[in-house]
This record gives sequence, structure tokens and C-alpha cells, in this order.
Amino acid sequence: MKNWIFFLIIIVLGMLQVTILNYFKIFGVGPDLLLISVVIASLFFEFKWAFVLSVFAGLFKDIFGANIFGINTLLFPLWSFLIVRLNKEITIDYNFIRIALVFIVSLLHNTITGLILIYSGNLIPLGLFLRIVSLQSIYTALVLPLILWIGQRLLIY
Amino acid sequence: MTLSRREFGAIIFYHRNFIQNEKLKKYIDLLKNRLNAKEEIYLENARLKNLLSFRQKSSYRLIAARVIARSADSWSSSVIIDKGKRNGIKRQMAVITYLGLAGRVTDTQEFTSKILLISDPNLGVSAIVQRSRQEGLVSGTLGSHLIMKYLPEESDIRIGDVIITSGLNQTYPKGLLIGTVVGIGREFSGLSRYAIIKPAVNPSNIEEVLIIIS
Repeated sequence: MKNWIFFLIIIVLGMLQVTILNYFKIFGVGPDLLLISVVIASLFFEFKWAFVLSVFAGLFKDIFGANIFGINTLLFPLWSFLIVRLNKEITIDYNFIRIALVFIVSLLHNTITGLILIYSGNLIPLGLFLRIVSLQSIYTALVLPLILWIGQRLLIY
Repeated sequence: MTLSRREFGAIIFYHRNFIQNEKLKKYIDLLKNRLNAKEEIYLENARLKNLLSFRQKSSYRLIAARVIARSADSWSSSVIIDKGKRNGIKRQMAVITYLGLAGRVTDTQEFTSKILLISDPNLGVSAIVQRSRQEGLVSGTLGSHLIMKYLPEESDIRIGDVIITSGLNQTYPKGLLIGTVVGIGREFSGLSRYAIIKPAVNPSNIEEVLIIIS
């Protein structure tokens, strides 16, 4: 039951990301709610479900993106796999560790996405690259506690 | 006498007044919601009137469409509209609003299309300064301003100049308003200059667009 609710949560977060979240952008950059959902799924669900949820979130993001199709569909499950492995090695129970984890994952995700886009011929000036990579990672990490709080409330009910 | 009677009545009928007050508060909330909805309809009506008037005056064949979603990532500036191949929309068609150039169609499905907005760095538009006819290339910065590049060192461009499409690229007809110059700078190499442009169309709040069919 929880898994299906989380599917709905991903859809809601995705819909928020492609609609009203555009009004909350700072310097043209907004938080990546779908990446947050991947991290949460990897921390709280078993790997099989976390993998399915992350592929779904990646597909959602690729469908609504204007860039190369498949980047997120491939990268999101990879992050999911790595987070599940990391979760077995260390305890990720405190919110500040989760925030740090989201920051690192977002930083890696944005860096790889940006580099793929540059190597595939897209024009991304260095200033823009650094702005998106750094600001989006910070913004995404800071939004995590709010999403966790809402998610926990929803899953309790 | 009246005052004391009123106060006395208020004490006697406290419960009735309390219930009535609650009911009225709920009614106020309802009216506020209705007022908000009407305000939204009024604003939409004003926008659609502008679009319709522009469409009637324009010499282009245009299709009006509504924005239904925006880009999910920060690496691009794009929107999805509710019109697609079924409505005659094809890739590379220019997208405008009644204020000026908005972008270009990059992908079409049966009922939807993806529009790359002028604020995207990958959308290059050949443009000219309306006053001096100086040519340059306008592209987005993913922010609120555009940049006009490849301006020669001796180019005649000033703050406040109007920038329009040059018509050199077949995608965009000549004379579409892009924006106004708000800043001028020198490239790092020192060989050319660039201009910062405030777009006529604000890409962050586009809700309805027109696609130039022919």
C-alpha cells in the first residue's frame, strides 16, 4: 500500500515541478523534487521498489524535459542503487545526514547531466553550468526536510 | 436606552449571534473564493482579448495554444502546449505572443508540442537593432535577460535600442520584437561586444502563445 502511495507522491511532486515550482525559482534554478523522491525511496523502501520508483521518476522528468531523453531514466536508478548500498554500510537516520546526501547526489547528478549536455553539443556557458550545479544542489538539499515532513504525514494517514 | 437595550440583547441572544457570526464568516470565505475566481477569469479574458486582437491584425496565419506544463529540469527553458500535429503544428515553427517572440517548436506529438523558449541558451535567433540595422545573434541565459552576441567593436548600439528578428533565419519572420537593450559590454577577448536584452515576452509567465503556421 505504501509503495502505491509513494507512486502518487512522485506524480504529485512531478506535477508540482512542471507547474507552480517555476514561480519559486531562484536565479532561474528550482529544486529537483523528483531527485528528492528518488533519495527518499532509496532510504525507506527495499531496493526492488526503490529501483522501480526511481525509473518511474526518471521517465517522468525526461518526458517533461527538453534535453536528451533517457539521462534521468538511467541516472536515477543508479543513484538509487548506490544509496541502498550506502544505507547498508552506514546509518542515515539523521536529517542533516540526509540533507548532505541529497546535496551530494544532486551535485553529482547535475554535474553529469551538464557534462553530457555539453558533450552532446548543447551550449552551456561555464557561469551557467556552475550556477545550475551549485544552486540547484543547495536548493534541493534545503527543500528535503519539508518533503520528508509532508511525506511522513501522508504515509502515517 | 437604545445602547443598553442593544447590550442587553447581545447578552441574551449571545448563542444565536455566535452561530450567525460563524455562518457569516463561512459566507465571507466563499465570497472571497468566488471573487478570486472572477479576478482570474477577468485577467484571462484580458490576455485572450489581446491575443485575439493581435491575431486579427497580424498578417501571419496563427494558431493559439495554452501552456500546460513547463520544463522539469533547470538545464533548459521550455514549455508544453495543448496543440500538436493534429492542429497543423510542425517542428521549427516560430512561437510568439502579442508582445513579441516567445520561442520555437522543437517537438510535436499528436495533441501536444514542446516549445523552446527564447530564454534557453540553445535557441539562437538572428537579430538586428531596429535603429541602426546592426546584426547580431540573440540567445538565452536561462535567466530573466537575453544576450546579443557577435557585435563588432564599432557597432552602433545604445541602451534603449529595440531588437527585432532579422529574417535571415527562415524560422523567424523579419520584424518580430525580441526586446530592448538594457546593457552593453565587451567580450573577454576584446574583439567584440555584447548587449544585454530585456525580452518583450517574459518567459517565466507565459500562459498562452500563438504559433506562426505561415
